[in-house]
Order: sequence, then C-alpha cells, then structure tokens
Amino acid sequence: MLSQQLKGNIQFLNSVSTWEEAIKESATPLLDGGSITPKYVEDMIQNVHENGPYIVIVPGIAMPHAKNEDGVVKKTGISLLKLEEAVPFPENKKVNLLFTLAAEDTSGHLDLISDLSSLLIEDDVREKLEQSNSEEEILDLLQTVE
Amino acid sequence: MASPAKATTDSNVVDMNRPSARARVQAFGGFLTNMVLPNIGAFIAWGLLTALFIPTGWIPNEQLAQIVGPAIKFLLPLLLAITGGRMVGGQRGAVMGAIGAIGLIVGSDIPMFLGAMVIGPLGGLIIKKFDRAVENRIPAGFEMIVNNFSLGILGFLLMIVSFLFIGPVIESANNFVTSAIEALVATGLLPLLSLINEPAKVLFLNNVIDQGIYYPLGMQAAAETGKSIYFTVASNPGPGLGLLLAFTFFGKKTARRTAPGAIIIHFFGGIHELYFPYVLMKPLTIIGMIAGGATGIAVFSMFDAGLVAGPSPGSIFAYLGLTPKGSFIGIIAGVLAAAAVTFLITSLILKMEKNKDEEEDELSDSIEKSKAMKQQGKQVAGSSKKEEKIDKISFACDAGAGSSALGATTFRKKLQKRGIEGMEVKHYRIEDAPQDSNIIVVHKDLYDRAKHAHQDKEIITIENYISDPNLEELLDRLEER
Repeated sequence: MLSQQLKGNIQFLNSVSTWEEAIKESATPLLDGGSITPKYVEDMIQNVHENGPYIVIVPGIAMPHAKNEDGVVKKTGISLLKLEEAVPFPENKKVNLLFTLAAEDTSGHLDLISDLSSLLIEDDVREKLEQSNSEEEILDLLQTVE
Repeated sequence: MASPAKATTDSNVVDMNRPSARARVQAFGGFLTNMVLPNIGAFIAWGLLTALFIPTGWIPNEQLAQIVGPAIKFLLPLLLAITGGRMVGGQRGAVMGAIGAIGLIVGSDIPMFLGAMVIGPLGGLIIKKFDRAVENRIPAGFEMIVNNFSLGILGFLLMIVSFLFIGPVIESANNFVTSAIEALVATGLLPLLSLINEPAKVLFLNNVIDQGIYYPLGMQAAAETGKSIYFTVASNPGPGLGLLLAFTFFGKKTARRTAPGAIIIHFFGGIHELYFPYVLMKPLTIIGMIAGGATGIAVFSMFDAGLVAGPSPGSIFAYLGLTPKGSFIGIIAGVLAAAAVTFLITSLILKMEKNKDEEEDELSDSIEKSKAMKQQGKQVAGSSKKEEKIDKISFACDAGAGSSALGATTFRKKLQKRGIEGMEVKHYRIEDAPQDSNIIVVHKDLYDRAKHAHQDKEIITIENYISDPNLEELLDRLEER
C-alpha cells in the first residue's frame, strides 16, 4: 500500500536552505497530483510554528502533516523527500527524510501509517532506507516489509 | 462538582479503595448533572418560544408555534441522549445514544426525557463494549468499514428495541398514575395528590394528568360552584419558583447562573418544563417539590379557593386572570406558601450536597495523593504493582490523524511482539481523547495542551514515535503486571 502510494512521489535533493522549504519541496508531488491544495502546505508549516517540531517522529525523519480543514486535502496521499544534507528543524532537530502525509480523514490512511510504522520499527530496514538513493531501491525495500 | 470525567478516571483507584456507597451515589448525581447542564440553553430557547407563541402565549403566532411540538419531542430528548452517550462512549457513543433515543421518541406520545437519559448512556456503553471487544482484531485498512457498520447495525437493533419497549412502559405508567390519582381523590386528602403529581410532572406526564384527569374533574365542579380546586392541584407555579430560587442562591456554577432566567420563563411565562431539568439533575429535590405542592393544595383548601378554568400555561398571570372574586387571597397565599416550602427544603438539600461534594473532593484529592505516592514508591523500588489497571492507552496529537496514528500503530505492534493482550490503543485529537483513557501519550511539545485537556490523567511524553525510552518503559511496566 505504502509502496503504491509512494510510486512517483519520491524525490531526492542535495540540500535545502530551511525546513519550511523542505516541507514545500516534499509536498510538490502531492500538489501536482491534486491530493492537496497550496493551503495545506501552509497549514503544515504553520502546524510546526504553532505546536513545535513534533512532526519529527524519530531522529532524522519528519512526517509533515496537518488537519484537513476546509477541504485542503482532496485525497489521501503520501510523498517522500530524501535530502543528502540534513536540514535543521526548530530545536535544532536535523532531518533528512520527510514523509509528507495528507490524510483526508482520521481513518482512511491507517494502512499507510501501518506500513510506515513497519518500515521504521526495524533498525536494519531503517538503515537500508538511509542508504537508498533511487526510487526503485526504496520501493523494493518497502515491499519487503508490507 | 464530581464530574463524570473524574469519576471514570478514578475508577481504577476507586476499585482498589472500595468506594463508599455514598461516593457512588455522588458520582451518579454528578453524571446526571453533566448530562442535563450543557443542554439548559436549549430548554430556555424552547421555553421562550413556547411562552411567546403558543395560542395562550403573549404574542400568539400559529406559524412559529409549529416549532414547539417537534422541539420538545425531538430536539430536547435527543440532546440529552447525545450528551449522555458522549459521556460514556465518546463521539461514537453520542451517535449511538441518539439512534436509540429516536426509537423511544417515536414510540411514545410524550416527551421522552427520562427515557433519553437512560438510553443515551446505554447506547454509549454498548458501543464502547463492542469496540473494546473487537479492538486489535480488525485487519489494518478495515477500521473504517468495521466502525461504521458496527455502529450502524447495533444502532439499528437498539432503535427497534427501544421503540417496541417504550410503548407498553408509557401505557402502564399512565395507567398507574391515573388509578393512583383516582384513589387519592376518593380519600378526600387532596394534598397527598402531590406525591403523584410532582414526579409525574417531571417525567413529562403533566399534560396527561392535567388535561386527562384534573381538568375534567375541575370542569364538573366549576359548572356547579363556579370554581374548582382541581384546576390548581398540578398547575401551581409556586413549587417551581421555590426550587429555582433555591438553585439561584445555593446551586452550583452553571445551574446557579441559569436558574434566574428559568424563573422568568417558568413563573411569568408558565412554562413549567423549564424547572424539570433542575430536578432531573438533582433527583432528591423532588422531595421539596412534593412538600411545596402539598402545602399549596392544603392552603387552597383551607381558604376554599379555586380557579374558574384550567390555567394553561400555568403562569402567575394565568392564575390571577382565572381567579374568581373572593378567592384572590387564597390563591396568592397558596402559591406563595408552596414557593416558600419548596425553597426551604430544596435549599437544605442543595446545601447538604454541597458539603458532601466538598468532602468528596477532599477524599478524591487524598486518593490522588496516595496514588502518586504509590507511583513514586514503585519507581524507586522498581517493583511492579500487582493490580495496576491499564487497558486504554490513547495517543494524541494536534490533528489526531498523523503522528498519533503512527505512534499508536507502532505501539500496538510492539505490544503484540511482547504478547501483551487486552490493551486498547487508539489515536485521537488531543481534546477528543476519551475520558476513560488510563494513559495519554503525546509529544513533549504538546504536553501543555494535553495537560490542559486532561488534568487528572497520567500523561506520558515522547520525542520519538517509534522507539522512545518512555514508551519502552511503559511496555516494561505493562509486561510486569
């Protein structure tokens, strides 16, 4: 499920200058695919300003997301941005992987989350993820845990 | 005030410490209050509408009066059922409560307040039990379909059961009330009628008894003597006035602040329904109502007073308008005496409860303290408590969809890995995390918000949704039990 959703939504960049830019970049595929409106990107950034960098779910990995208010999420989706050079989030939390999540409601995307959890729960899988540098490699890795 | 939140969160503590029967009655009273209180505004809206626009109101308006019936029959009971359901079973409980209540409402001819206050929490309880039973057994991705259909099917059954059940109950209640009143009238001891009248009124049988029994009796007498006491036995606005005044002076918080407004609509507008919720939230106050009603009847008989027709609605103005010459002193005295007696007795009851509540708060404070001390002792000694009851852990975040879901899913996987069973782990928006959660897990950045929304809960903070040391500690703690 996660691998299907991520297909075509994975990007690689050398570096970005700010965490805001990282969120914007990572959301591009969702925006282009019509999953979200530009307002959702702003909401995700605003969420960090308001609530702190709690979206940094484990060291090095962030899951930018926000509430679906006023229909900013058109359909559930997820994208991945991998940065060669980690970018600091507030409280100096360095992040190089961004799984940007757009959830239409509170339950329709739970299988995505469940796969994501399987991906991150095993240290060796996570290590492989860190070393992958092509979409194919990442999708293959995902299929092993799904 | 003993809020239900407190009552339920303390339930694990309470289990261990064997609560007194009194504490349990107290918690139940708090539950009733919290079910009624948030909805007083709707009662007031309905009361204003009714006092103004019904045919005997201040500015009769046929069109607007159309709202009166549906609002009291549907809106108010549904609100009570929804609130009751939510208190027990969260948002799903609220939906279930409303579904159950509509069966009662359609199945009966009178406004189903008491019924709604039973079926609402019952609906909440049913769905909560069901959710707990299937928790962790739903394959990933099927949560939504199982959730919706379970609620749909259980609600469908509850709707039918409540519909079929309520008709016979109402009928037998009506029969009972009618025959009891007839028997009392036969004895000639009219003040005793209050024993039936007041409870029946609060249960919204007021029209049944007034228009079904007393008005026909009254009309017979009035045809012969020009007036009748029967028009007054159940419509005296005095007891309601006394009750609301008592709440105005000795009630607590919202009840106290809303009571003065209710007085105007009740006493001057004649809409007695406005005081019913106050009795429903403190059922003991019915004693004051009965005593006041009986006093009123006694005084009316003493002065041989009566009205020329049925006062509807039963406001002080309708009373005075229908008082024949020579009965004014008796009627006014009866209303005032009833108000005074109800006021005195209700004030005593409210004051007593107030003191008890304070004691209760102290009691729960001390339980809280001893719990904290145990907790500390445990951390120091590292030994496990034998009966730490934890079966509901809620992960919370701002949206209730992203990081909390990830945290909950991962935690469930870890529980499974360790073979720990019987744990409900779900994700919520911080403010929606259910009141009966034993532990709430939030990111440390959201701690203040979580603390604000759930003051008396154990809150665990994390920085890492996959493998936080605090979560590992919690897993150890759950395993050790």
